[in-house]
Amino acid sequence: MTRILTGGVGKAQVAEELGELGIGGLEITVSSDMEAAMKLRAGQADYYLGTCHTGAGASLGVLLGVLGSGTCHTFGRRVPTEEDVAELLDSGKKVFGFGMDQICDTAPVIARAIAARNA
Amino acid sequence: MSTLLAGAVSAGKHSLDLSLAQQITVVVLCALTALISHMALAVFNDGVRPFMLDFIQGNSTRNATTAVSFGLSAGFIFGLGAPMALSTGVLNPWLLFLPTDVLGILSPKKWIAPLLGGAWGAVIIFGLNGANEVAHDLPVDFLTAMQEMSTPILFLFTLFPVLAITRQFGKLRGAVAGVVELALVIVTMKLWPDVFPGAPAMAVGVVTLIGFAVAKDMRQRRAERAEKAAAEPDEQGGDASQQDVPVDDPMQSLFSASAARLRRHLPIFMVLGAGVCLLAQMHVFGGGEATSFLIADGDYAGAAQVDFYRVFGFIPLIATTALASGAYAIAGFTFVYPVGYLLPSPWLALLAGAAIFAVEVLALSWIGKVLGRLPSVRDSSEHLRNAISESLWLAILFGSLLAANTMGGGLGILIVGGLYLLNEAMGRVVVRMAAAPAAVLVGGVLLNLLHWLDLFTPVKG
Repeated sequence: MTRILTGGVGKAQVAEELGELGIGGLEITVSSDMEAAMKLRAGQADYYLGTCHTGAGASLGVLLGVLGSGTCHTFGRRVPTEEDVAELLDSGKKVFGFGMDQICDTAPVIARAIAARNA
Repeated sequence: MSTLLAGAVSAGKHSLDLSLAQQITVVVLCALTALISHMALAVFNDGVRPFMLDFIQGNSTRNATTAVSFGLSAGFIFGLGAPMALSTGVLNPWLLFLPTDVLGILSPKKWIAPLLGGAWGAVIIFGLNGANEVAHDLPVDFLTAMQEMSTPILFLFTLFPVLAITRQFGKLRGAVAGVVELALVIVTMKLWPDVFPGAPAMAVGVVTLIGFAVAKDMRQRRAERAEKAAAEPDEQGGDASQQDVPVDDPMQSLFSASAARLRRHLPIFMVLGAGVCLLAQMHVFGGGEATSFLIADGDYAGAAQVDFYRVFGFIPLIATTALASGAYAIAGFTFVYPVGYLLPSPWLALLAGAAIFAVEVLALSWIGKVLGRLPSVRDSSEHLRNAISESLWLAILFGSLLAANTMGGGLGILIVGGLYLLNEAMGRVVVRMAAAPAAVLVGGVLLNLLHWLDLFTPVKG
């Protein structure tokens, strides 16, 4: 089971969006930046998807400070491809921030890339 | 309602050309914000702030940070700030402070930052004054049409606490809150016709949401304490350990180092607060997404209310990003906006702005600690910001279509609505919130062209 936490302004929508995808092997929990930072640090969760207007403020906020820039990445308001995400996952990124008006486009891409990696 | 419309009509004539004092204020403030950004003391973009930590600690270069800042800001400068300013004739923070964020970080030397910032301020004044003059003289006046925006914004914004309550606390409480707010709006209209009908409803809604959240956190803490007391005799450690320490040391030490850094620079923050508050007091600047339209309409009390409640959605975001990075926000918790709009004199605004920033910076550490203990309240703020976006999205879209109708009837609606949908289909090149006003702007220009080609007659002469 891969544990994904969602946070930031669109946390509920991201969780809904990912739930609707019905990808097996993903456990999606609505969380918050502070809680997620601690859980990822303690290894109690695997990935974090954060959203806000910019794709980096509320979504990454504390995580960048606690986990360091090596594990965090922001797409800003850009929509990534599955290959982009796979590459980032390979380089050790676990925390992803993106714009809240791109949730429907970006969240599934990240989730599929994570699922593909674990398959 | 009728008073609002009357207000809109009477305000239709007033000019937004900046006086010399206002121009100087904008230039000096932009110079200051660029300098502050150069020193990594504060940035406007909430998304850039987390990246300032690496920069402050010397782990990332000025060039790399500039790239991040530009990447995260560009869409909001050209997709939100610029169309908003051009369509309302009012300055906004995205247009002024996002570029000064970038210019400040970009400057290789300290003295270059204020020069670039000031120059940006001058460019904006020149551009906006010119655009305003041209726009009002056109046969199809889209700036006046844009004032259609204020009624939907004010009335739909009233509902944002209800949306947040529904998302966070479920359908039942959301429905009850909705009924209570609607009743309050109706009662206010009947009993106090001079008060904006949404004001008491919004106040009650926000207080209710925060009340629910605090109550939930209190219950949670009590339950945890009881659980801990029950578990104590058996064994310690194990699964419960993570519950006991919700905020552990690395975060705490990061937060206190940042707060101390910001406190050391208190004087420059007080100057910054004074400047931003003064700009708001001049009534040529709208701080929130909706406020520009209300300021353009001359509805300063409405603008103050909207931006005051907006603050509650931003306190946790700004506090946590500031405490995690060691860089503050250019407008602080944005309390200076509503205070500025309402103050009668510029001197009072300077004093109030400085005082507000002093209190904010000094209280930052404490706010961080309190928020650490109240996860539901932080949750609420995120739901509030989401609710603000949702309600404003509909209000601005509807207002834009009203403006389109005023400008060009069915043809106007076709052009503006069409451009909006096209932007959606293209993956939102322009930020959703600004897409419709930007479409009104383009539509206005297009209708003027058609009029010039004798293909279109303005609806109202």
